[in-house]
Amino acid sequence: MNRYECFEFLAPLIKDELIVGSLSGQRVEWGHLSQHEGNLLVACMGGALGIGIGLALVLPNRKVLVFESDGSMLLSLYNLPTLGSLQPSNLAVFVFDNEIYSGTRISEPTATAGKTDLAAVARDCGIAQSTTVRDLNSFQREAKAALEQNSLRFVVCKVDQTTGHRQIRRSNEDLSEHKYRFVRYLERTESKEIFRGRG
Amino acid sequence: METELARRIVAGLREAGIGFVSYLPETRLSQILPLMREDPSFMLVPVANESEGVSIAAGAALGGRPAAVYMEGSGVYVSSYNLLVIGKRLGVPMLLIVAHYGSLMDRRNSFLYAAPGLHLPGNLESLNIPYEVLEDGQHLENKIKGAVQLMHAIKQPVALLFTGDFTV
Repeated sequence: MNRYECFEFLAPLIKDELIVGSLSGQRVEWGHLSQHEGNLLVACMGGALGIGIGLALVLPNRKVLVFESDGSMLLSLYNLPTLGSLQPSNLAVFVFDNEIYSGTRISEPTATAGKTDLAAVARDCGIAQSTTVRDLNSFQREAKAALEQNSLRFVVCKVDQTTGHRQIRRSNEDLSEHKYRFVRYLERTESKEIFRGRG
Repeated sequence: METELARRIVAGLREAGIGFVSYLPETRLSQILPLMREDPSFMLVPVANESEGVSIAAGAALGGRPAAVYMEGSGVYVSSYNLLVIGKRLGVPMLLIVAHYGSLMDRRNSFLYAAPGLHLPGNLESLNIPYEVLEDGQHLENKIKGAVQLMHAIKQPVALLFTGDFTV
C-alpha cells in the first residue's frame, strides 16, 4: 500500500469534513489531490494532531480528520495521553507510517521500523479504537468507518517508502493564504466570525 | 497570589472574550484554574506539554474560540518551536498567560528558577512575540484586554508575564 493510493480513495469522499495535515510528502500529495477549502495543511512536524484536537473540541458537530506521519507523531507523542483523556468523538487520526524519515532522502529509519507500535501506544493511552492497517482494503474500511461513525479513531497506516511526491508540482499558495482560505470557509459554513478586523 | 487577584485575572480574561484555555499547571497562578473550571465561559483543556498547549489552542482559535495558553515560564522554552511555526509563521492569535518564575520580582525565586526566568524576555524577543510584564493589579483588566486586542489585530501570540504580587 502506498500513501498516494490511500489519498486517491479518500479525497473524493470528503464533503464538509476538516482535514488537518502535517508536513512533507503527504502535504504535497493531499494538496495535489484535494482542493477542499476545509484543508489545513500546517506544514510543521508535531503540530497537526494538536490543532486537530483543538478544532474538534470547539466544533463538536464537525468531523475532523488528522493526517500525521510516523516522524511527526514520534515528535509529539505527548498528544496521545491528552487525546485519550479528552476522547473527542468527532476526531479520526490517520498516521501514514513509512518507517523512515523520508525528508532526509537517505531513508533513515524511525522507531516504528523497530519495536515501536504506535497503535499500541495510542491504545494504552486510552484510545480504544486504535488499529494498524497494512493493505488498501483495510485502509478503505477504516476510512469509511471514520467518516460514517462518531467515535474517536486512531489508524496507523503502514505504507511503502515512496518518492512520488517529489515529482508533483508544489502549490504556489503560501501558508498565510492557505490559512485564510480555511478560516473564511469555516466562517461561511459555521456562520460565525473567526478572524476579526478589530480586536 | 491573593484570591482577589486570581478572580480579577479570570474576570479580565472573560471580559476580553477568551473562551478556551489550554494549560499545564504550575505554582504561582494556579488559583485561576478552579475559578475558570467553574465558569462556563471557559473551555479548559489540560495538556501534557506546553507545545501541545500551543497547537491545541491554535486549533481552538482557528475554529472560532479565542484562546489562551496558561503555562510556567519554562513552557515558553518547551513550546518555542510551535510558537514559531504555528503561532508566528502560520499566524494564529493566542494569549500566553505566563507565570514569570525566576524574574527579578518573583517572590519565590531561587537558584532553581533564576536562570530560565532571566532569559525568558530575551527568548520572547527572539521569537518577536510582544509581551507585557505585570507586577501588580494596577490596570490589570485593561492590560489583559489590550493584549487580547493586540493578538487579534496581529493574528499572532501575545504574552502576559505575571510576577511580583502574582507570585506570592
